[in-house]
Amino acid sequence: MLNKLLLRLVMLFRGIWTGMGADTAQLANILAIKLVMDDRKPMSFGRQRKQKKDIKYATWLSVVFSLLTGFFYLFFLFGIKDPVSSLFMYFTIFLFMLTFTLITDFSNVLFDPKEKYVLLPRPVNDKTIFLARTLHSFIYLFRIVVPMSLPGWVALGIQYGWQSAVLFPFVLVLMVFIALFLVNACYLLLLRFVKPEKFKEALSYFQIVFSILLFAMYYMLPRLMENNMSEQLNISANPLFRLLPSYWLASSWLWILPGAATAFRWYSLAAVLFPVLCLWITVRWLAPTFAARIGAIDASDAVMPVAAKRTQKGKRFYSRVADMVNRNDTVKAGFLMTWLQTSRSRTFKMRIYPAFAYIPIYFIYMFLLNGQSVSAALQHLPEKKNKLFVLLYMSTFVLSQAITYVTISDQYKAAWVYYASPVGKPGNIMIGAFKAIWIKYFLPFYTAIVVFALYFWGIAVIPDLILSLLNVSLFSLLIMRIAYRCFPFSKSEQINNAGGRTMIRVFLTFFTIGLLGAAHYFASTTLPWLLYVFMALSCILLWLVWDSYANTSWADMAVADE
Amino acid sequence: MEPIITIKNLSKQYSGKTVLNNINLDVYPGSIIGYIGPNGAGKSTTVKILTGIIADYIGDVTVAGKNLHEDLLEVKKMIGYVPETAELYDLLTPYEYLGFIGKLYHLPDHVIEERSQRMLDSFGLLANQHQRMDSFSKGMRQKVLLTSGLLHNPSIVILDEPLSGLDANAVIMVKELLQVLKQEGKTIFYCSHMMDVVEKVSDRIVLINNGNIIADGTVRELKQQENETLEQIFARLTGNEHIGSKADAFASVFNTNAPTE
Repeated sequence: MLNKLLLRLVMLFRGIWTGMGADTAQLANILAIKLVMDDRKPMSFGRQRKQKKDIKYATWLSVVFSLLTGFFYLFFLFGIKDPVSSLFMYFTIFLFMLTFTLITDFSNVLFDPKEKYVLLPRPVNDKTIFLARTLHSFIYLFRIVVPMSLPGWVALGIQYGWQSAVLFPFVLVLMVFIALFLVNACYLLLLRFVKPEKFKEALSYFQIVFSILLFAMYYMLPRLMENNMSEQLNISANPLFRLLPSYWLASSWLWILPGAATAFRWYSLAAVLFPVLCLWITVRWLAPTFAARIGAIDASDAVMPVAAKRTQKGKRFYSRVADMVNRNDTVKAGFLMTWLQTSRSRTFKMRIYPAFAYIPIYFIYMFLLNGQSVSAALQHLPEKKNKLFVLLYMSTFVLSQAITYVTISDQYKAAWVYYASPVGKPGNIMIGAFKAIWIKYFLPFYTAIVVFALYFWGIAVIPDLILSLLNVSLFSLLIMRIAYRCFPFSKSEQINNAGGRTMIRVFLTFFTIGLLGAAHYFASTTLPWLLYVFMALSCILLWLVWDSYANTSWADMAVADE
Repeated sequence: MEPIITIKNLSKQYSGKTVLNNINLDVYPGSIIGYIGPNGAGKSTTVKILTGIIADYIGDVTVAGKNLHEDLLEVKKMIGYVPETAELYDLLTPYEYLGFIGKLYHLPDHVIEERSQRMLDSFGLLANQHQRMDSFSKGMRQKVLLTSGLLHNPSIVILDEPLSGLDANAVIMVKELLQVLKQEGKTIFYCSHMMDVVEKVSDRIVLINNGNIIADGTVRELKQQENETLEQIFARLTGNEHIGSKADAFASVFNTNAPTE
């Protein structure tokens, strides 16, 4: 329903698309078929097709969470008196979220490997292929944006009258365009200047760096503003802010607000011109070589590889670790496979590396500085034990991110090997995967936190460090036991509802882990003996969950799939 | 007769490694070319260039008088391609997929409908046309792939391992189909590793090795002895005549150091 409506909306501008050199009949055809496919869930190996119900359910859940996020954004809309400044904040946050989603979740839409064989040999020109991809992502973004913007739309309508309600949708479309074309232009520039063979590599590093940067900015911007911010803040006064796209969007309200500073309203034109300019540049200069470059991306695979020489003699490091921590061959197989695959899978690295950066950034900006200088903050740190707990429990994020993505792969069909080989207990493979993730990603990270904690809080916090280690491991294993009772790299990724699902996961994780952390904090500060009770309890639970997960049988797996 | 495909001085490199080294080839309409070579010889690179998947190459490729660099879309309209990797959008049904492909060639709906129904029916796949392809066997996918490659009635058909996964009946049908297409004046570019099939269906064999064409002619012309098969010709020309001893070496692994099982 919604898809068809959005498709119609997009095809309203067929004049523009034709003007750009696209074949609109083909364009509509490609878009329609892609939307149909997105709504279908691929089958994973050895599993029967799921009912349609849970797709609908997931869609609704993501709509609800988008709505909630939209309500949260209202806070920015009414925190500041000056309407343009508050609108500026609102659109800034919104734009950040969109760009972030685009970069992390939508690169698959932009570079669909199947297209090479299905579309490239057909008489479809580059501009059509390029526009199809761009508009496809536009429709998806719009689906996320609509529920998220509803609260803002209604609130602004009440505040500033019907003109505002009429204006809002147009500005919203412009906002989506800005985010989309900006990211697109970056990708295409990359595609243009990086060798096709290296492109995938370059792309993933670009994504990692860019998402870390965005994340850092997201937390830095409010902090920057706070220095000279008050209820009376006026963004328009600062020429620097007037260069930002979110200011252009916000300034369009100056056309309808009575008695507003009229001179600044012309900035809103930039919001219209900027995406048009971006689109024109991309279609004109970058798109013509688009398909050719896409075609070349995987083409180098056809070349016979040069026989690689093993440089190191004897057993590799990971192999020795595997021997050390696994006694059972099946567990070891799961461990080794996960260890190696996580090192080489671009998709996995792209998801997990930023998480390492997010936690320190998040910690520094939200909990450390809080309006004071770095040296002052570090000086007062030992007195504030609650911050230690925030840091300790935030480390869950690394583990939960790894757990989520270790089951996903583009080559999920290769998981047939587990079904074909004499694996008695599939749980053995799964626990091997968990061990590998825990040792490879979580342990080094947690060690760094331990060093940091011991330096600032001293050895008195050792019991806390142990308990939180147990709790975080327990929590992650529990998540895996409940939600991911499947083989590593055995599921395909669904871009559909990706934005919504990520949010649900983050919300739930933070909620539960927050509770755990609070209980731990309570015990640590008021009843220290309780700490040891918790420790024992965590150990027992950990052992139970571990046992249950490691002994997952084929029958349990079948149940988990339904 | 004018050649329908002309390849002149075609070269292609990937990061310094030469994959195609100055290939020259004329293909005439109404013939079946068996395009063969060992793994990594440059076969699929040639095919990808012909079908427009790879666009940066050195040299000239002309199809029906149109240069690939200048009239890529026109050339693509004339070509039907069945890729080796059975990549298709398998979340769709054959009906939806063929409808989609047909529209990319601007075929009217009723033509797509009629052709795809009849083609699927010939393959015995009509009953499955509204079933999602992710549940299909390899052979069923291959049938859909063949149908999608021929749907727009191309004058040049490029087939890369077209028989893979097909059942015996379908194999016979496709082989006969090739003869019918040839009689209609279509040109068929047939890439395969199954030498016995290539030998039977092709009018002319082109053998490529290390990016060079090392043999070009009818099977009869390539034979050194009367009863030499294409398989033996292949082994002789690609320098691998001692395959028998390699197989022995492979199997002997189990005899020397496998005490347990």
